[in-house]
Amino acid sequence: MWPIMKITYREMISKRIFTITLLMSLAFLVMYGVATWYASKEIAEEMGNAADLLMETGFFSTQLLGMGLYFGSIITALLAILSSVGSIASEVESHQIDTWLARALPRRKYLLGKFGGLASMLALYALLMFLGLLSINQFVGGGVLAVHVSMGQVLTALGFFILMPIILVCVSLLLSSITTTVTGGIILIILYGISFIGGFIEQLGSMIQQSSLINIGIVSSLLFPTDSLFRKSTIALFDTADDPISFASQGLFGTASAPSDAMLIYTILYGAAALWLAVRLFGKRDV
Amino acid sequence: MTDYVIETWDLTKQYNGKAGCKNITLQVPRGSVFGFLGQNGAGKSTFVRTMLGLLHPTGGKAQMLGYPIGSVEARKKVGYLPELFRYPDWLTGTQLLEHHAELGGLPRSERKSVISNVVARVGMAGREKERIRGFSKGMQQRIGLACALLSDPELIFLDEPTSALDPIGRKEVRELIAELRDQGKTIFLNSHLLSEMESVCDYVGIIHRSELVVHGEWRKLREVAEQVELTVDAKNQKLLEQLPPYVHGKEFMRNDGEQQRWLITLDQNKRVPELLGALITEGAAVHEVVRKQQSLEEVFLYWVQKKEGEAHVAHHENHV
Repeated sequence: MWPIMKITYREMISKRIFTITLLMSLAFLVMYGVATWYASKEIAEEMGNAADLLMETGFFSTQLLGMGLYFGSIITALLAILSSVGSIASEVESHQIDTWLARALPRRKYLLGKFGGLASMLALYALLMFLGLLSINQFVGGGVLAVHVSMGQVLTALGFFILMPIILVCVSLLLSSITTTVTGGIILIILYGISFIGGFIEQLGSMIQQSSLINIGIVSSLLFPTDSLFRKSTIALFDTADDPISFASQGLFGTASAPSDAMLIYTILYGAAALWLAVRLFGKRDV
Repeated sequence: MTDYVIETWDLTKQYNGKAGCKNITLQVPRGSVFGFLGQNGAGKSTFVRTMLGLLHPTGGKAQMLGYPIGSVEARKKVGYLPELFRYPDWLTGTQLLEHHAELGGLPRSERKSVISNVVARVGMAGREKERIRGFSKGMQQRIGLACALLSDPELIFLDEPTSALDPIGRKEVRELIAELRDQGKTIFLNSHLLSEMESVCDYVGIIHRSELVVHGEWRKLREVAEQVELTVDAKNQKLLEQLPPYVHGKEFMRNDGEQQRWLITLDQNKRVPELLGALITEGAAVHEVVRKQQSLEEVFLYWVQKKEGEAHVAHHENHV
C-alpha cells in the first residue's frame, strides 16, 4: 500500500493542477488577508464608544471568517474532486495501470494506497487552508475582527473541515473505479452542487421556518452529505446551533439549522460504504 | 515429467460472447520461448491480460508457476511488457524503475545496482534520469522492458516487444530473449511479426479468430508439409507430369537456363530417395535436391487456412 501512496504523492506534486491550485490558494489567502486588514483598520477607526458597533463588529467578524471558510471548503472540494476522480479511471483508460496491477499487488491494496495518498494530501491541504484562514482572522483581524475561539473549538471545527475532502475522495474513488474520468467528474460535481445548494436552501428554510425547504436540504444532504460537514464545522467554530439570530450574525455562510449527530454518523458511514464498494467493484473490473 | 510454467484448460475471455479468446488449452514448458502467433485482433493480448489478472476469465481455468491465475502468488515471479506500453510521463526512467522495484519486493540495498544493470541491458544507460515524457516510443518500450526484467522473473510476458523499435533494437531484443532463455527463464512472446519470432521460439501456438488452432514444438510444427526443391533438365519436364501417387503436389518455381526448379510436395519425408530413384530410372537428369524448411509464415498460413477450411465446411453443413 505504501508504494502506491508514494506514487500518488509524487503524481499530485508533479501534476500542474496541484501547483496551480496551491498558487491560487495562496493568492486567495493573500487577498483575504488584505481584505481583512482593511476591514479591521476601518472598523478600528470608526470605533468610538458606539454600542451598536459591538454588534456590527461581531456580525462582520463571523461573516468574514464564515465566507473565507466557505470559499476555502469549495476550493478544497474541487481539488479533491479533480485530483481523485481520474486517479483510477484515467490510468485504466491510458493502460498505465497495467504494469502496476501485473505485479504481485492485490487490487485492494492499490485502491487503498491511492485513497491513503489522496486523502492524506487533501487533509493536509484542508488543514493548511483552515489554519491559514483562521490565522488571518486572528492575527490580521487583530482585536477588532478576531472571532473569539477556544483551542477545543478550533480542533473540532478543523476535524469536520478535514473530513469533507476525505469523504469526497471516497466517493470519487468509487466513481473512478466504475466509470470514466469525465463521467465520474460530472456526476461528482453535480452531487457536490446538490449538496452545496441544498445546504443554502436548508439554512434559508430554517430562517423563515419553511419545513419544505428544510426537508429539501435534508434530502440533498442524504444524497450527498458533504455540506453538513461544513455546517458542523462552523457550528463548532462559532459556537452556535439552532440559534435564530445566528443567521443574522453569520450571514448565509453560517448555520441556522444544525446537522444532527446522526447526520455525522451517516456521513462517515457514507464515505466508508463508498470506499468499501470501490474496493469490491474495482476488484471485479476488467482493466 | 515436463515442468510447465503455464497451463490453461479451456481458458475463455469473451466480451458479450464475442471476440477475446476462446477455449484455449495449452502448456508452456519451463525455460522455453513460446511464441503466440495470430493476426491483429485474434485474441493474443486478451489471453495474456487474462493470464495476468487484468481481465477476468469468462470460462475455463489456468495456472501460472503453479498458482491459479488471478492470485497474487501467480504474479510474484512474473514480468510483463504490455503491447500498449504507457508509463507515467511525469516520472523519470529511474523513478519508474524504483517504484516497480519496490512493488516487486526488491530489497532496498539491491535496488540501485539492479536498476543500473537492467537499464544497461535494455540499452538505456545514460538516459534513465530523463523524464519519460521526453522519451521516444522506442525508448519507452525499452524502459518497459527494463520494468519487466527488474525483479528477476521466472516467466516474462512480452506483448509485441519490438513494435516501436528500429532494426538494431529488434535484433537486440532477439538477443536478449535468447540470453534470458539460456538463463532458464520462460518467455511468452506475443507477436504477429512472424519472421522475428522464427529465430527465437522453441514452441509456438497459433491463435485464429479467438481459438487456438495448434500449439507445440516449433521443430515439429514446421513439418506440416514435406517438400523438396528439385532441379532437373528442362527437357525432363514430361517426366514430372507422371509422378508416383505419394507425390501430393508439384509447383514450377523458375527456369535456371537449361534447368528447371520445381517444388515437390511428398506425403512423407522418407519418400525422397524413392522419388529420386524413380526419376533417375526414367532417365531424368537431377542436378540438385534441397529439402525445403517451412518458414513460420508458411506454417502459420497452413494452419490458419486449414482452420478456415474446416470452418467453411462446418458452416456449409449447418446450412444443408
